[in-house]
Amino acid sequence: MTFVVKDNCIKCKYMDCVEVCPVDCFYEGENMLVIHPDECIDCGVCEPECPAEAISPDSEPGLEHWLKLNLEYAQVWPNITIKREPPADAKEFDGKPKKLESYFSSQPGQGD
Amino acid sequence: MKIDSISEDGIARLVDRFYVKVRVDPQLGPIFERVVRGNWDSHLEKMRDFWSSVMLTTGRYKGAPVPAHLRIKDIEPRLFDRWLQLFEETCDELFDGEVAEAFRAKATRIAESLKLALFFRLDRASTREQR
Repeated sequence: MTFVVKDNCIKCKYMDCVEVCPVDCFYEGENMLVIHPDECIDCGVCEPECPAEAISPDSEPGLEHWLKLNLEYAQVWPNITIKREPPADAKEFDGKPKKLESYFSSQPGQGD
Repeated sequence: MKIDSISEDGIARLVDRFYVKVRVDPQLGPIFERVVRGNWDSHLEKMRDFWSSVMLTTGRYKGAPVPAHLRIKDIEPRLFDRWLQLFEETCDELFDGEVAEAFRAKATRIAESLKLALFFRLDRASTREQR
């Protein structure tokens, strides 16, 4: 059991989650974060912290694809535990549909 | 009177009381004594930080519990069940209904998740060794 980061993180990347996570299991891409499913202990602290409501438990139906994406990129992107300023245009992208198809970047972020 | 809100004080009392039970438990006691190796003060402090991070989102604990548990020799799924049983018992002794339930719910999820992470991985590891 794990939590997963979903579509609405893309281009928003508020990063409030990384400060509260007790087990440092967030990894940073260029424009989104992911959770390492093997490190997450399912405590759920991050879920209500996300202003974009982009984190859910993987027990919710229909998240298989996001679980795969989280696992894949958690293994290649750098770890992030310290929050930085979110992108200047984060608010404009908050809530836009289908961001994965239009904006997702597989490039790593800067990490801590 | 039972504690009716989630606070640092309540967490400290929970942790102290819970580990008194753990240390005298025939199943858990010996394993904890072996791993903690006399450093109970720092272990209890770490556990207060952990529960403070989980219940009050203070971010005070920063650690990697999955690898920490993977290093423990002779760890078994039934020990997680016993751990949870004692934890729930302690919650019920100290906290009123809703507060006890909030702690129990988190502990259940975390124990289950650690159990899966540990034994699913061990299974994968042993399958690989057999090939």
